[in-house]
Amino acid sequence: VTAVEEPTATFVRPDGREKVTGVGRYTADLTLTGQLHAAFRYADHPHARITRIDTTKARALPGVIAVVTHQDVPDVLYGGMVKDRRLFARDTVRFEGDVVAAVAALTSELAREAAALVEVELEPLPVLTDFESGLADDAPRVHPDWESYEGDEALGRHDNVLGFSTIVKGDVDAALETADVVVRGRFVTDPVQGVPIEPRAIVAQWQGERVTIWSSTQVPYVARAGVAHTLGIPESSVRVIVPLLGGGFGAKCDFHFEAHVAALARAAGRPVKLVFSRQEEFVAVGHRREGMVIELETGARTDGTLVARRARLVLDAGAYCGEGGFFAQMAAMHAHGPYELENVDIESSLVYSNNQPSSSIRAPTAPQVCWALEQHMDELAEALGLDPVELRRRTLIEEGSVTATGQVLEHIAMKETLERAVATIGPADDLPADEAIGVACGWWPSFPARAGAYVKLNDDGTGTIVTGAQENGTGAVMALPRYVADELGMRPDDFSLLYQDTDAAPWDNGSCGSQTTFNSARAVLAAAVEVRDQLLDAAAETLEAARDDLELVAGSVRVKGSPEKSVTIAELAAQATFHGKGAGEVPESPPAPGEGCVGRLGLESFHAPQLIAHAAHVKVDRETGVVRVLRVVAAHDCGRILNRVGADGQVFGGVVMGIGQALSEGTQLDELGRQRNPHLLDYKLVTAADAPRIDVDWIETDTPNAGPKGSKGVGEPPCVPTAGAIANAIATVLGARVRQLPMTPERVWDARQ
Amino acid sequence: VTTTFATAATVDEALAALAAGARPVAGGTDLVVGARQGKAPLPESIVAIHRIDALRPIEEHRGGIRLRALVTHAEIVASTAVRERFTALADASAIVGSHATRAQGTIGGNLMNASPAMETGGPLICFDASVTLQSVSGSRTVAVAELFRGPGATVAGADELLVAVELPEPSPDSGSAYVRLEYRRQMEIAVVGATAVVVLDGDAIADARVAITALAPTIRRVPRAEGALVGTSGDATAVAAAAAAAAGGSAPISDVRASERYRAAMAEVISRRAIEVALERARGRAVPIPASGSRP
Repeated sequence: VTAVEEPTATFVRPDGREKVTGVGRYTADLTLTGQLHAAFRYADHPHARITRIDTTKARALPGVIAVVTHQDVPDVLYGGMVKDRRLFARDTVRFEGDVVAAVAALTSELAREAAALVEVELEPLPVLTDFESGLADDAPRVHPDWESYEGDEALGRHDNVLGFSTIVKGDVDAALETADVVVRGRFVTDPVQGVPIEPRAIVAQWQGERVTIWSSTQVPYVARAGVAHTLGIPESSVRVIVPLLGGGFGAKCDFHFEAHVAALARAAGRPVKLVFSRQEEFVAVGHRREGMVIELETGARTDGTLVARRARLVLDAGAYCGEGGFFAQMAAMHAHGPYELENVDIESSLVYSNNQPSSSIRAPTAPQVCWALEQHMDELAEALGLDPVELRRRTLIEEGSVTATGQVLEHIAMKETLERAVATIGPADDLPADEAIGVACGWWPSFPARAGAYVKLNDDGTGTIVTGAQENGTGAVMALPRYVADELGMRPDDFSLLYQDTDAAPWDNGSCGSQTTFNSARAVLAAAVEVRDQLLDAAAETLEAARDDLELVAGSVRVKGSPEKSVTIAELAAQATFHGKGAGEVPESPPAPGEGCVGRLGLESFHAPQLIAHAAHVKVDRETGVVRVLRVVAAHDCGRILNRVGADGQVFGGVVMGIGQALSEGTQLDELGRQRNPHLLDYKLVTAADAPRIDVDWIETDTPNAGPKGSKGVGEPPCVPTAGAIANAIATVLGARVRQLPMTPERVWDARQ
Repeated sequence: VTTTFATAATVDEALAALAAGARPVAGGTDLVVGARQGKAPLPESIVAIHRIDALRPIEEHRGGIRLRALVTHAEIVASTAVRERFTALADASAIVGSHATRAQGTIGGNLMNASPAMETGGPLICFDASVTLQSVSGSRTVAVAELFRGPGATVAGADELLVAVELPEPSPDSGSAYVRLEYRRQMEIAVVGATAVVVLDGDAIADARVAITALAPTIRRVPRAEGALVGTSGDATAVAAAAAAAAGGSAPISDVRASERYRAAMAEVISRRAIEVALERARGRAVPIPASGSRP
């Protein structure tokens, strides 16, 4: 029934038409019989002791069916690497978006009205919003009971420090003494939001002891585990289904509000739906890009050799760990950067505060540290009298380089990405005085993880792919049928997808860490190979041919060189069961035996690192500080590119997101840690009209420990060096540096003074 | 919570609804956004006026033009009469919100929302525009310069509907511009804006209007800035003096969008740019609409 067409450059997403035409259904579009509407009562104060919670008035409001507080759920702490949070605050609220109570009512208006009627008496506690001061001995303690929490031993927790990590090699003090040039700098970044255009929504429905939860999450299996853990029920009693997801950018990673809604639905005895407002998407979600203080000191010889780097990083963890527990080590690796360093002393602290909790947003910690480090490298080049590109040419990692953590790097094209980016954007010699080109380099690891999938054939010779992978809009899941079709000699259109349903497929990491292709495609391909084997066995019998002489082409199995001896897959599928399961072998990470690493969470080895160089051409209005990005060239070593259209799309989006982080996106806080701009009018995303020309260059390498077909990740790297490249271009125009992120017009204007 | 929503087919129906306590909605671009942000809850009773065809046209009127209340920003930008004779207004309407806002938002709503950051107010004040406010008991004319009482407040009574905006015949040999500081290219709101209208008599400036936007509780003209231009040739020194005077007439605040210091400095830069573009246009040189996009 099938005929394989010539491969083309186009990639038609299976979910494209329904999304574009509006027939696609997102979580907020679902309506169940008897459904109620949920609203939360928030702390509204960043740090206080709860002295009284009274739900009497809320319950008395006609139309209110259920009100839930900490008293209605098991007294259980949850969290990623540290279990430090309750579903509903019990004794203490630790940021303005802490949930104190939840209401289910006949309409969302009534639910909000009732939520406001919940009486919450608070006794204010000292507020820690300046996270850097949280390291001080006399700082207010965000979690006085931190020692009683269950947490990963490697984090090195103490007082307000949630995570501590170092990278140490050699003797930095002695090396700095011998350096010809030493450069120092301090950089500060504002917190940044993920801002998915779909505010999150959750619908929960109980049937007996089992609950089905439709949720706009990037990580359905993590959400299922969170519900099971906090409500004290087995995972088999929880089914999480994700309808179409309207973006996430990391903000919908982790378990967030599924259990709150499930608890409400159980108390009400009816299905309950929660849909966030845009303001709630800003304030209540414990998941944003962390603010950071970055202090760097690098010594070099006149030839550019980097003899020593010292770095001190302080990261704002916010009020709870969430899934951001690994940030201290990740940030430390980015302060090391993709450079050869003789002596290293990096110290990184992830500090609790009464701010919104920080967790992974697209390439967590990297854009900020890279922005600082790449400005620092340009300052070093200036001090050395070297061209910034030339300094990088001399110091970037290359084949056989050893990181300060002891990882040996093989088959990497870091320097090639730099050369390609610089060559493509062209010389800066003839630019007007208000324009310049800036360059920045960065790296980002791949994340090997387990995953599982099934592939089954239908009687008419079509097939179904059952995968745990989650499509967050990148198209990574939508490309899976291509890989299976290639393996089986079929067409991508021949396959339906059953995905983002925890009852369907084995556990999957979800759409996080640029790893959907790396892990989920590996599992799907392994399942396809089983089907391929079954087809070859069956065809060998039918055709009375040797198995090794057969090939799968154009929907048939045929004898190589004798195409008339063939049987269609449909004929085979109608007579037997063809189904494969697969997980694939999770690649091992290379060793990182360096002895000076504290806080080892596995990131001391950057598995199959993605290597990135961006060149940005910008124009600066010196009078106003307004910066326009005219062009970005992105050269990436992401291993083998399996889907060029999809991969290019990730770079386009990541670069534009990076421009937002560079120039306009930042959450502003008042003195009590409350957000001052929790809406899209004053939290300024980049618009399509601001997007520059973007050129993408892929340098394909044969990466050891790679994902399927030699791939690495592609989704997060485009965010990493964009702000750094823009910053270096701004500095060239101004003759001065902007040391605060985002580099808003006012900050650029200030720097110029 | 809105309990009554009626759609008026005629102006009289709309006025009757206002007299009964309803609030009008046309494009809804301010009303709905304001309610969602919690700035102002939706009114209990709403009368929609968007289907009243009599409020739709742009008309020639006594040498000038008359914009009925429902004229959208997109229609203003597309109007040859506005582009050629009231260019600053086209500059302003061209940068209101997004494409969607400009297709939906109306001149009447923009004025009656009375935001000190609204784009069209400065140009209309400088063009000596006036509005017709109508109610069941009659109608009156109010200069746009007299319309605003403060942020979100106008002199109109609750029962009055803005039905038209009239712009008198402009002087020949005049040029105008509205320039806004823009952090991004679309969906922006004024942090600093400035309007300039200049009338030339030969090489000299015979008359000038300068107004500043988002720099005081209401959009205001700055007579000192105008005085610094009149009688000069519009040379760099005079323009700089006028821009400094315009900034001196501002009362900037510090908020989430900018500091007082930055706003004050930008008041001067943006005023200067508006005056420069207005002069260029008066001298017959084409500067693209919107003027804000003609610079980096």
